[in-house]
Amino acid sequence: MDSQCVSTLPRVCGVLLESGSSLPDDTSLEKLLDWFTTIAQTGASLLEACPCLVDFVSKVAFNHASGSSILSFTLKLTGLIGTSEDGFKVLKECSVLKLVFNPHHWQEAGLWGDPCLRIGWIQGLKMILQHSEALSFFAQEDLIEPLLQLQTDSSLFVASAANQTLAQVLLLCQSLSSVGHNCSKNRYLEHNSVSIETTQNYSGIITRVSEYLNKSVVLKEISQLPGCQQILRLLAMLLVQVGPPLRDTLLLAVMNSLEELVTTSCSQLTVPLMDVILAANSGLRDDFVPKQRLIRLLWVMLNMKKPAIVMQAAAAVLHSHHSDPTFSAHSARVLLLPLDIVTGVSLLDENSTEEELRILITEQLKRKSCISMICVCLSNIPQITLMASDHLPCPQRLIVTAVLMLLRLCCVDSSSSSAGCVEVVRFITGNSKVQKCALEALLVLSKSPGVKMVLVDVFKVLTEYLNSPSSDPSVLQKSYQAVIKWVGVCPDLSCITDQLREGFIQAVRKRACDTRWEARDSTVEFLGHLGGAPSCRSFTEQETEPSDVFLGGCSFTVPLLKEALQDPESYVRASSISALAQTLTPSWQEGAALTQEQEDIVTRLQEVLFQDSEGFARRAAVKYFIAWLSACSSPSSCWLLMQSVPTVLSQGVNDLDWEVKLHTLELAELLLDQAFPDPSPSHPYAVMSDQAHRLHIAGHPDSRCC
Amino acid sequence: MKLYCLSGHPTLPCNVLKFKSTTIMLDCGLDTTSVLNFLPLPLVHSPRLSKLPGWISKDGSINLEKELKECAGRVFVDSQPEFCLPERELLDLSTIDVILISNYHCMMALPYITEHTGFTGTVYATEPTLQIGRLLMEELVNFMERVPKAQSATCWKNKEIQRMLPGPLKDAVDVWTWKRCYSMQEVNSALSKVQLVGYSQKVELFGAVQVSPLSSGYSLGSSNWIIQSHHEKVSYVSGSSLLTTHPQPMDQSSLKNSDVLILTGLTQMPTANPDGMLGEFCSNLAMTIRAGGNVLVPCYSSGVIYDLLECLYQFIESANLGTTPFYFISPVANSSLEFSQIFAEWLCHNKQTKVYLPEPPFPHAELIQTNKLKHYPSIHGDFSSEFRQPCVVFTGHPSLRFGDVVHFMELWGKSSLNTVIFTEPDFSYLDALAPYQPLAMKCVYCPIDTRLNFHQVSKLLKEVQPLHVVCPEQYTQPPLTQSHRSDLMLELQPPPMPYRRCSVLNLPFRRRYERVYILPELANSLVPSEVKPGVSVATVSAVLQSKDNKHTLQSVPKAPPVAPSKKRKRVMEEPPVTMAPKPLLSGAVPLEAFLATLQKHGITEVKVEETADGHILHLQAEDTLIQLEEDGTHIVCDNNEPLRATLRDLVLRFLQKL
Repeated sequence: MDSQCVSTLPRVCGVLLESGSSLPDDTSLEKLLDWFTTIAQTGASLLEACPCLVDFVSKVAFNHASGSSILSFTLKLTGLIGTSEDGFKVLKECSVLKLVFNPHHWQEAGLWGDPCLRIGWIQGLKMILQHSEALSFFAQEDLIEPLLQLQTDSSLFVASAANQTLAQVLLLCQSLSSVGHNCSKNRYLEHNSVSIETTQNYSGIITRVSEYLNKSVVLKEISQLPGCQQILRLLAMLLVQVGPPLRDTLLLAVMNSLEELVTTSCSQLTVPLMDVILAANSGLRDDFVPKQRLIRLLWVMLNMKKPAIVMQAAAAVLHSHHSDPTFSAHSARVLLLPLDIVTGVSLLDENSTEEELRILITEQLKRKSCISMICVCLSNIPQITLMASDHLPCPQRLIVTAVLMLLRLCCVDSSSSSAGCVEVVRFITGNSKVQKCALEALLVLSKSPGVKMVLVDVFKVLTEYLNSPSSDPSVLQKSYQAVIKWVGVCPDLSCITDQLREGFIQAVRKRACDTRWEARDSTVEFLGHLGGAPSCRSFTEQETEPSDVFLGGCSFTVPLLKEALQDPESYVRASSISALAQTLTPSWQEGAALTQEQEDIVTRLQEVLFQDSEGFARRAAVKYFIAWLSACSSPSSCWLLMQSVPTVLSQGVNDLDWEVKLHTLELAELLLDQAFPDPSPSHPYAVMSDQAHRLHIAGHPDSRCC
Repeated sequence: MKLYCLSGHPTLPCNVLKFKSTTIMLDCGLDTTSVLNFLPLPLVHSPRLSKLPGWISKDGSINLEKELKECAGRVFVDSQPEFCLPERELLDLSTIDVILISNYHCMMALPYITEHTGFTGTVYATEPTLQIGRLLMEELVNFMERVPKAQSATCWKNKEIQRMLPGPLKDAVDVWTWKRCYSMQEVNSALSKVQLVGYSQKVELFGAVQVSPLSSGYSLGSSNWIIQSHHEKVSYVSGSSLLTTHPQPMDQSSLKNSDVLILTGLTQMPTANPDGMLGEFCSNLAMTIRAGGNVLVPCYSSGVIYDLLECLYQFIESANLGTTPFYFISPVANSSLEFSQIFAEWLCHNKQTKVYLPEPPFPHAELIQTNKLKHYPSIHGDFSSEFRQPCVVFTGHPSLRFGDVVHFMELWGKSSLNTVIFTEPDFSYLDALAPYQPLAMKCVYCPIDTRLNFHQVSKLLKEVQPLHVVCPEQYTQPPLTQSHRSDLMLELQPPPMPYRRCSVLNLPFRRRYERVYILPELANSLVPSEVKPGVSVATVSAVLQSKDNKHTLQSVPKAPPVAPSKKRKRVMEEPPVTMAPKPLLSGAVPLEAFLATLQKHGITEVKVEETADGHILHLQAEDTLIQLEEDGTHIVCDNNEPLRATLRDLVLRFLQKL
């Protein structure tokens, strides 16, 4: 097929040359480029495979009549050809390269203003920047200047691509310099030794970039804000990608500017600034001067009068896994302050140094912006819990209590009031963003020591959320996840009272009939997860399934899931099938006798396979049989399973959905594995099966989970 | 301008506004929560209710066995239920000129006001309000008259006895003013006084004020009212909604620039989001039906039920409830369902467009066609033969004290499979259920109140910016049970004026202008002189005639010529001396020019002192002061009349005369 394509390529190029600007859709060009990329990636020379391309490129370059999409395509194609050193040489010899990558050429033609062309130029440039030849070309043609100009381009796509390309330039400089220093044998050296002049070129580029960054990281007037944000993002990206010593050079170059920027206390710059500090901080030695200056910067920010900046700085300290425990402890205290103020739970002891910050944060919490502040506090709780207990400002159990109190305050139906800041209640009540963040925090806190004391409170609050008519589906989903998580870490469910269980059952039953499919789906998923949760101890000190403790076991769950098989939403049907498999797995493993209910389910699943118009449900149905066959202790003695598998196989193989087919093959493979348990190499199918098995796992990591 | 508050119920208001020379009653709400103190009226004999023990005080001194019955620790009056009427002693109701009705829930006390009080005015309401209001009244009368109770309990109302009763009877106020339900005849008589109005239609009241209804978005034909004179505007905002339900959307912009905005009828459930409640209603309904139980929905026969049926129309298929029968039982069920379909112009835009299509605006028509929804006037007759369980029944009254709902409570109350779902927010569900205890049936409270919540109303007020807001006192503090929720109250600058039952408020704005008409011939005789570009003034001498609140300036009638006297010698009577009117002055005295003029006239020693209001000129040689102020000039000189006159003339040179 490739040869056919190659033979038609000259004609395609001809059409493209003649099409001018009349190409309404450039997806065909993207496809063409994909094909060239595939050829190039196989190691073959693109020019050898398609010799007509050089001619095409030079014709387009000299002919401005082509539309911007074709020009952009040509620039990218030139880059692709120049990726290999041979291709690069050919392009250079026919003087196409200079012309194509000369921005003045496009500016004079009045085409540079089109972002489509600029992005083609950048991407083409990025592609050729693979070898020292290209870098020399880049330096000689002084392309660094236009590239730097594009860093803050008005088009976000162009600016982002320019950022990536600059990183590529620096990485190449770095790798070539290290080659130059080490004088090790390298493919770059073999072809083209790194001359002194070239090394100077590289350092010239690095110096120019350092100057540029230093000059751009300024905020003298508000109009510079977007540009400054963009440069900070670029800087963070560069610091993450390049290693020492280049990273240290860049850092030293911008350090003064960064320090100056911090003093502007512009809150819009806080997040990108933190990203820079975090990126710079990782991997730096403690005694390295810039590191100490970075730490000083963080201290400055931690002591500012703007609570939003202080909170972000504290979060950055915790994320940077700082070695100084007092530093981390202070940051944890700062982050817990909003929670302390809002809930009135005393998480922090009296500390005069924080008094001023407490006043500032309390003021901030009376405004609508309190939402983001509380969310920053909650989303950093995982980091706080990682701290050593002696550095924590309070026992983790207290943090759980505070989060629970916050959740109560956020719940619309709750009449709880706190000893904390009253004004904040109007903003957080019913706010699903805060609710989700708090539930996330509660998920993490399940691992905290000593939480058994608050177990009942946790389940009460979660039941309240599951019951509340105002709970958003995403909040319901998080609540369910929290229940599963807390059940998982709870060795003893004896605290679950009848009243609590009754309330919980009512809530789950109601959510299974919710008008929003997302809520029904989460409920059904939850039932499956609870069915699959490991056993724990209950009132009678006996091993009990959590679903028995919470919901009274299969007698409650299975009818509810059976009902969900009829759900009008295919996602819910699929989830209910998976949940049934999870719920019934223990009884399959035990080899328990089949019930009428299970027979009904099988009949319904066959109906799904035959009639359901949506692929999700049919896929889940096949996976149900896979789960059954894998879990069943003695498949051959289970008549219903043996009777239904052939139907599933014949139906699944003819299904139009490829995933259904795939799962059917998995089922067949499982059947073969069970039929021929001895992996005898003499059996041809056994070998085939094993290979197929590995292929599936590699190709579809999630295809085995049901 | 005064406001008399006859009802303390924030959503069932009854206020009287005295504005200019008119007396306008704003709504006529009937507080029916008093019926919760009474025993239910069963449609068929209830052995349970008839066996309830009578109440005797603990010491045995008071025996009201016949009047009061005890059930599950609470005491109920065994008599025809009675309602708490709007206050009738605060002002003479016969002086009321007009009654403006904002929606059909707020007119239920109308017969008590218009009949037997000497009321001779007019009631204004929109057509759907009148028609559906009539249905609700008919239904109420029907519920009461269907099960007449001969006995009328009055002994318990004796102050001394009531003091000894257990709560909440002990705390009930004004029990002597409670009244039994009106008759159909009174309803008809009251409604015959209603004059229909359309949205934005302007109705002149005695030439003094103009009233106009605006769409309020709450129910079919529901309105807010604008009451305005030429220079003052009062807005009356009653039950309003910004949600997209069936009625026409709320007209907000016409409320702008009000001097006073009277705000009533906010949601009674500020923490219950109607969408969430609707979802809750559907899931509880489906849950019960799937478990094989019946669902009882105590509701009014109009209003939220249309939205409930529409929501269920979409839900029943997806929840596999296609085969479950839905029954709507009310003496006015049929009319209610049909009326809703014909008030096209009062519906939201989406439903209005459906009027031109074959399908009716509300989907309940399709539910009826496909036999999924059946309606009956009562449980007797056809219903009993078609009744199939499990089912969903919508029926009244939401207080659970009368109507067909009483029967279903008795019938289904014993089984925990059944559920009663409360959707109307007017009654506390726990109080409503009290005489049915012990109850095995599940109870779900999903109050659906689409009226404005505090968040929406603050936004609205920010937009329309009234100078003053008057509202029930309940809106000025957070609910008792949620005292920390400062967002569940009105926080305004200046703070709203709160009212309670029997308050009389002096509304805080003074009328400063009145429009006066001038007859053409008089206008012709005027000599205007321009005081500043575009503003001319003229003096006028005329006779002011005030009639029907219209003021007109007419020419002064010429004195009739004196009849010639026969006695020639008689000295002619002197005609009355008519002094030429003093010219009116306007303008300001410019200081520099005035000083120059003074100098020209030989006054040179002038000391100028600047004051807060202008200048004081001290003519030192003459020992005279001239105070030049914005609105007056004083010349203070002792016993030197020629100098004063000279100075006066100099001042007058700078002023314009009319």
